[in-house]
Amino acid sequence: MTDDDLKSLFEGVDRIEPGEEARARARQAALAAFAGKNAQVPQGNVTPLRPTPSSNPLDGNGRSRMNMSKRQWLMGGAASAAVVVLAVSVVMKIGNPPFEPRSVLPVASEGTAPKPAPPEEARRDQQAQLAKRQAENAAAEREAVAGLAKGQAMADSVSQEMGSVASAPAPTIAQPRPSAPQASRKMVAAAPPSSAPVLAEVSPPAQYQEVGRDRFEAVDSSPVKSVATEPVSTFSVDVDTASYSFVRRQLNQGVLPQKDAVRLEEMLNYFDYDYPLPDSRETPFKATVTVADSPWKPGNKLLHIGIRGYELPRAQHPASNLVFLLDVSGSMNSPDKLPLVKQSMGLLLSQLQPSDTVSIVVYAGAAGTVLEPTPANEKQKILAALDRLSAGGSTAGGEGIQLAYQLARSSFKKDAVNRVILATDGDFNVGITSNAELQGFIERQRDEGIYLSVLGFGQGNYHDQLMQALAQNGNGVAAYIDTLGEAQKLLVDEASSTLFPIAKDVKLQLEFNPQTVSEYRLLGYETRALKQEDFNNDKVDAGDIGAGHRVTAIYEITPAGAASGLLEPSRYQPQQPAAEGHASEYGFLKIRYKLPEESSSRLITTPIPVDGGELSARMARETAFATAVAGFAELLKGGQYSGNWSYQDAIKLANSNKGEDLYGYRSEFVQLVRKAEVAAAMK
Amino acid sequence: MSPDRQTLEKARAGDAAAFAEVVDSCYASIFRFAMKYTGQRQDAEDVAQQACIKLAHSIASYRFESAFSSWLYALVLNCARDWHRQQSRHRADTLDEDCGEAVADSADESRVYLRQVLDEVDAMGSGYRDTLVLVAGEGLSHREAAELLGVKESTVSWRLHEIRKRLASAAMQENGHD
Repeated sequence: MTDDDLKSLFEGVDRIEPGEEARARARQAALAAFAGKNAQVPQGNVTPLRPTPSSNPLDGNGRSRMNMSKRQWLMGGAASAAVVVLAVSVVMKIGNPPFEPRSVLPVASEGTAPKPAPPEEARRDQQAQLAKRQAENAAAEREAVAGLAKGQAMADSVSQEMGSVASAPAPTIAQPRPSAPQASRKMVAAAPPSSAPVLAEVSPPAQYQEVGRDRFEAVDSSPVKSVATEPVSTFSVDVDTASYSFVRRQLNQGVLPQKDAVRLEEMLNYFDYDYPLPDSRETPFKATVTVADSPWKPGNKLLHIGIRGYELPRAQHPASNLVFLLDVSGSMNSPDKLPLVKQSMGLLLSQLQPSDTVSIVVYAGAAGTVLEPTPANEKQKILAALDRLSAGGSTAGGEGIQLAYQLARSSFKKDAVNRVILATDGDFNVGITSNAELQGFIERQRDEGIYLSVLGFGQGNYHDQLMQALAQNGNGVAAYIDTLGEAQKLLVDEASSTLFPIAKDVKLQLEFNPQTVSEYRLLGYETRALKQEDFNNDKVDAGDIGAGHRVTAIYEITPAGAASGLLEPSRYQPQQPAAEGHASEYGFLKIRYKLPEESSSRLITTPIPVDGGELSARMARETAFATAVAGFAELLKGGQYSGNWSYQDAIKLANSNKGEDLYGYRSEFVQLVRKAEVAAAMK
Repeated sequence: MSPDRQTLEKARAGDAAAFAEVVDSCYASIFRFAMKYTGQRQDAEDVAQQACIKLAHSIASYRFESAFSSWLYALVLNCARDWHRQQSRHRADTLDEDCGEAVADSADESRVYLRQVLDEVDAMGSGYRDTLVLVAGEGLSHREAAELLGVKESTVSWRLHEIRKRLASAAMQENGHD
């Protein structure tokens, strides 16, 4: 078959002249419509002067066709609002069986002919029709590419999306998809040429947006504990920052975040406090403890533990073997998701050394390798691979993770940081979807030296809980990227923290002295609590610290004898006289950690004096700002323990302790508190 | 297929005579396109009429941003798709019609063959029929067709490649049976 053969098909038909009668009829109808339109200018798709039996003597078949189409137009308007959601779900469904698109597209339209359909069904039918039209462009393209993968994985909708890349072996495949830059394809009705008037009647929203399905784990704040009964507090460090970015995003939209989205420790650790640096690389971090008065409860004290990790000079950066695992499922089709992912990965690329390797794995309905391990100096190649990605299909996240680890293993470098970086909105709905199973898998990989970091994107359907669990089990950071600015902070300014661990399984244990402290409460870290006996058990996993990371933990304590406590003394338990001789200490801090390549832990200990002497101005400022952040988080969580302390107090405290604030994050924090105040007032 | 700019301006402004002129100058091309798309005179006439009515409604929204002909293509193509969708709902009816129709002359014969081909191409999925008609039937370039269909140029090329392959293999099968 040649092009000419195809053309000749139409030759016979081309010679057919239009019938005069039909031409006159059409002309008349058009003129009538034109006159009618200019008389009353109807809205959108209503066509007041449609051919009727009187004006348009068509045969019965034709007439019923007309009537039906009229009904459709009318229904169309009503249905168009609902269509968006439907169009999306249709498109997402299409993903799976690539070779029978017709059966996948709304089947409802086949049998449910015009008359007998009950209204509800007819309505749905109309929606399906419209959805079909909207989906057509996207679907058609997908089919086109699906053809490429013929003979390869049948249900592989990733290779549908990534056809040219994923199924590279077949030589013909690259041809129909040249490396032409691919504009990010809108899922809903790829916009036709600007001049096309016809699609204007269903004006689709620009993007896919889900609302109200963000999932967070509900955790109660840690309660006030009595030193007499429970003098020891144990927890693992946490360097995640996801909660802060998510909260920021919500507040920027003028709404208070849901309480479960607020994790105090992640808000606290978002900021780079200027704690003293460790002296040498031998002890990878230094802990500084300060005690200050509690701003929200006179009498109480706040005990700050500030940890700062060793900063790796750029020359000492270890090599990296990174696998980007990117979610390209339909749910990622939104400007703040996949496009932001691409930009973020591009940023990260700029921080890599030439010898580092990067691979890209994507998953949608299935998983596929987009880029084999490639040295970072072939930047164009990597960027081009990123650029080609587009979103569509369901989400086989589990499979993607497995493939990513496989790739990381294949390019495993012994002395390098081997890390999978997962970028997703957290919606795993195909394959291994059981959280426990995924975690187990990641845990085993971690023990083999491949770490996992999780970057969360998008909102409306953000599955925070899973993201947290994955990153915690993978010795990585869980961060949430809401803007390019956040990507810049995380992947450029703090790239070394994000990429290079300097200590792992870092656990803190604080024993309070009942002589000097009667009650204590740990602010945040609820999800990081450990059992007392886990502290010395090196088998128990805990959080990691990257190069230059800051970790802050705050305890609110009630000194013995102060009246600000919440707990009543027991009527029946006799007060144990505390051991003598330590009246000058609030408690004793122990930190256990492992160096990244070691499996047995080391211990750092330091007593916490009651009178720590005068704080340096710098430490006073840093702790005060941390207090403002913690207090703000408490307020967002409902202000259970913060008394009458208000947003205004937080603003005041933060404002007077901003310090240099080179990057403006602290100023932004003050703005956020203001927004929260407004949002709270409007609630 | 292109009325002059002045006439178009007038028609946009609501001048009925000018609009009639536009319809007169375009009807033949509209009909021919519809004929190629549907492969049947009666259906083509229906589609063409719908297109004319649609033209009446949307001519005011033509802003001279692109050639009138490609604007019109988009419009007619959409009417043709609407028809096609209705038609596939009534597939049974149409098939009956087809069988009842007598093959009178060579033009009819080519029409019947075209319909068979179009049916075959339909089975490959949506978008293939549009592509075939625009490129092979109307002689548009791959780029122009891609723009109209809102897909990438490579997709158009690919579809045509697939169509040729499909038709070739269908022809081979037929020969094999003979």
